Amino acid sequence: MSKKLAMALVAAALPLSVSAAPENYTIDPYHSYVHFEVDHIGGLSRMRGRFDKTAGKFTLDQAAKTGSLDVTVQTTSVTTGDNDKGSRPRSRDEHLRTPDFFNVAEFPTMTFKSTNVAFKGDNLGSIEGNLTLLGVTKPVTLNVERWKCMPHPQSKKDMCGGNATGIVKRSDFGMKFGIPAVGDELALFIEVEGYKE
Amino acid sequence: MQGGVAPFVVGLVVTLLLQSVRLGGLAVVAAFATAVYFVAGFTFSPLTATRKIVLLALAAPVIGIFIDFGVKTTRAGAGMLAFAAGVAALWIFWPVLSQKEMAQIWLIGGAAAIAVAFMVGFGQMFLADHAVRAGAAGLGAGLGVGVAAILAASATYGLYGIALGAGSGAFLLVQMLRGKPGTAGATFMLPAMLIAGLVAGGAMILAQLPWYSVLVLALVPVGARLPVPARARVWQQAMLLSLYTFIIAGIACYLAWHS
Repeated sequence: MSKKLAMALVAAALPLSVSAAPENYTIDPYHSYVHFEVDHIGGLSRMRGRFDKTAGKFTLDQAAKTGSLDVTVQTTSVTTGDNDKGSRPRSRDEHLRTPDFFNVAEFPTMTFKSTNVAFKGDNLGSIEGNLTLLGVTKPVTLNVERWKCMPHPQSKKDMCGGNATGIVKRSDFGMKFGIPAVGDELALFIEVEGYKE
Repeated sequence: MQGGVAPFVVGLVVTLLLQSVRLGGLAVVAAFATAVYFVAGFTFSPLTATRKIVLLALAAPVIGIFIDFGVKTTRAGAGMLAFAAGVAALWIFWPVLSQKEMAQIWLIGGAAAIAVAFMVGFGQMFLADHAVRAGAAGLGAGLGVGVAAILAASATYGLYGIALGAGSGAFLLVQMLRGKPGTAGATFMLPAMLIAGLVAGGAMILAQLPWYSVLVLALVPVGARLPVPARARVWQQAMLLSLYTFIIAGIACYLAWHS
């Protein structure tokens, strides 16, 4: 009798455990980008740029309110829209790739690996993790400003996407060139979409 | 300020203080260290190529002093120094070179190793015993590498090169004002040529300095070996030799501009 009861309980709990399993998503590189913003000439203006190539995965367990994020950004793909040197010896984007800034020859990638995902109600609230840039790893918190899961309107594939922001001090990662003319504080804006595997 | 004035002042003070004990040549590494302090600081983790250059730059005068005061300089010794400098260049840049195709490894790795080895070997063999020529070589190589690095999109390497030129200029200026040559030796020549060669190599491998510009920069010390009128005064010799080195450095910068 007790065996039957146990089996019945297991059978009853099975659908719950399936629905609580983390879902894996692969980041869509064509709709996922990391943008950045930094003060120029002591705050005269805020200059913006982005990395064109981002890849990674995230998991989501809506029931257990847990998840993870693992992103790799190709620093070689940095662009600020100034990639034509014109009459100058080099363009700004070329300068950003040198050891003065992202040193892409030695450090071609920047990674973010989450350590904790916090929910605000049913939605993602913030993602704590470690950002590795220029070989230095520091904790960073990303605030999720928008998050949504739905089937793709055409392909009907399940997908999730949203936007997150964070702030880092580039000097913490050894990127000290040009401070304070080029600001130390780097604001990160991340847009991400991912398809369920 | 970071790459020019502060390193020049430090170089001048070190030359004035230490010239009497034959260590005025430390001006060049003191000037370089001043620029490193202001630009990036003395952090060595993770050990990047740039930080390896700084480490070797700080170690070079120790070897230089040992050579000047401990062992007699010979051609074989200069050759060994040159070989070691070339190997050091490969050690510094190998993590980046190893990610490139074989043809690129041979081209830019070879250019860096040859440039550094030639500058160190030539400087030690033909210039170290002539403080005016040594100072002119350091001045031309430092400023040339600095300007070329800026044109190659690396301001950090640009400032390091200019600081090297500033320190060498201070060392040269003291001789010009005193009217008699000082003492260079390996204490001056080894760090001056090693840093110049490695910074040029870094600007090529990590930024965009073309390999042929690096090879021309390596010839700058040859300009400081050219003849000057035997009866010329020290300041006249310094001016003329510096002009020779500037011409060669100028060609390298022109090539970097138009690459």
